[in-house]
Amino acid sequence: MIMADQTFAEGITELEAIVHDLESGNLELETSLTSYERGVELIKELQTKLETAQQKVTTLLGDVDPAPVEGEEELMS
Amino acid sequence: MAEAVALTVSAALNLAKDTLRAYPLRIVGEISGFKPHSTYRAFYFQLKDESSVMEVTLWRNVYSDTGVELKDGMIVELSGHFDVYPARGSMSFIPRHIKVAGEGDLRAQIAALANKLKNEGLMDEARKKSLPWLPERIGVITSANGAAIHDVLRTLARRYPLAEVLFFGTLVEGHGAAKGIVTALKAADSHAPDVILLVRGGGSFEDLLPFSDEEVARTIAACETPVVTGVGHEPDYSIADMVADVRASTPTAAAETVVPARDELEALLAGHLAQMIIPLDQFNLRVDALQQRLEQALPGKLEKNALHIEALLVRLEQAIPGRLARDEMALGNLTERFRGVGSRMLERPRTQLTHRGAQLEALSPLKVLGRGYAAVFDSKTHSVVDSIHKVTSGEQLTVQVADGSIFTIVERTAGVACEESLDEHFAQN
Repeated sequence: MIMADQTFAEGITELEAIVHDLESGNLELETSLTSYERGVELIKELQTKLETAQQKVTTLLGDVDPAPVEGEEELMS
Repeated sequence: MAEAVALTVSAALNLAKDTLRAYPLRIVGEISGFKPHSTYRAFYFQLKDESSVMEVTLWRNVYSDTGVELKDGMIVELSGHFDVYPARGSMSFIPRHIKVAGEGDLRAQIAALANKLKNEGLMDEARKKSLPWLPERIGVITSANGAAIHDVLRTLARRYPLAEVLFFGTLVEGHGAAKGIVTALKAADSHAPDVILLVRGGGSFEDLLPFSDEEVARTIAACETPVVTGVGHEPDYSIADMVADVRASTPTAAAETVVPARDELEALLAGHLAQMIIPLDQFNLRVDALQQRLEQALPGKLEKNALHIEALLVRLEQAIPGRLARDEMALGNLTERFRGVGSRMLERPRTQLTHRGAQLEALSPLKVLGRGYAAVFDSKTHSVVDSIHKVTSGEQLTVQVADGSIFTIVERTAGVACEESLDEHFAQN
């Protein structure tokens, strides 16, 4: 994907730069269209990242007890 | 009544000494100027409150019986009596027993510590670090077994699951908790996450004490990483809260503070999409304006061409997003149409070229030769012979006629002075 190596924050930064360039009104139509396409792609990727992200937890000190699940007491007893 | 007899200094001080020693007292105050590594038989320090200071002489054996490590800023209750040192006329308090103040005094101790740290500038707004907007890594310090960690993880997963959580478990109450929190803070800071959350759920006053420990407070202040606290419930306030870069009221609130909500991000992305389309519409407006100017500028004769351009403009407009977003083929089509227009643009020059070709052909010298004229060239130099003075008798000439060349030799020359001679010449042939 186009932003495989980019973090979400970096993607947002690039997107903001594109919006800024487009808003400056200094771009040729061709460049504008390329920037626009790139921007739309970035937005899609960022949305996908947000939707599909799985929380990653690394324990570096002490252990986290598993979250109490409803009905767990019955299973354990 | 007889006037009292004047006393010597020694007698007066001994009188004061006896009087003071007869009154055992319990005194609460803050320790100041305490040096733990005294080589004397006693420790000398001061006990103070807001407005007064008194000297204390603490015998070494009394100190070791106490079992408490004294240090500056500590609020203690001393039981003992005042004494006078006649050699210097100074007064000092001699404790027989020391105890660290109780909860009421603990609150005062915390207040005193807060005041001290504030005076040191540890709570200054200017030294508080700002939080990153989109943290990639979040350090979380709390108990491994408690609701707080799950509240935090749930909140982060709901709002911004992209952030990686680095968990540092520690005791958060009771003996060893303050040390554990300090260790966890240092460990978390050394991993350089974007932000650190120091949280725990609600508890009693004593439960929350480690969060008002001086070393914990100083470690928070020394962290390179911004620290956000969420300790207890809304009304609870610890010294950790005061020195932290941001204080949230609960663990969940702390997690909410460090990451944006997902719908905020989605709204932001949608906003950027709209922001990109608006400037592209400017091209539409510019094209419209140019179209109008062209229409006004073109004479009627060229109206057909204007129609071509108009069609081109319409196609350009179609190529501009957001339509492009829906139809990515538009740009390809546009290229095709440009090509079509390009070939049409060549038609007029092409007919002009054909016409000019015909004109050129009419002027060709070959045409003249075809009508019976000949051209004469010097056979050696190949230059045109257009004068009798350019040739001499016996010289070779090339005569070019319509269907080829005649090679000949000059016999003689004659001026064209008289027409008769020319007529005669033709008549002879």
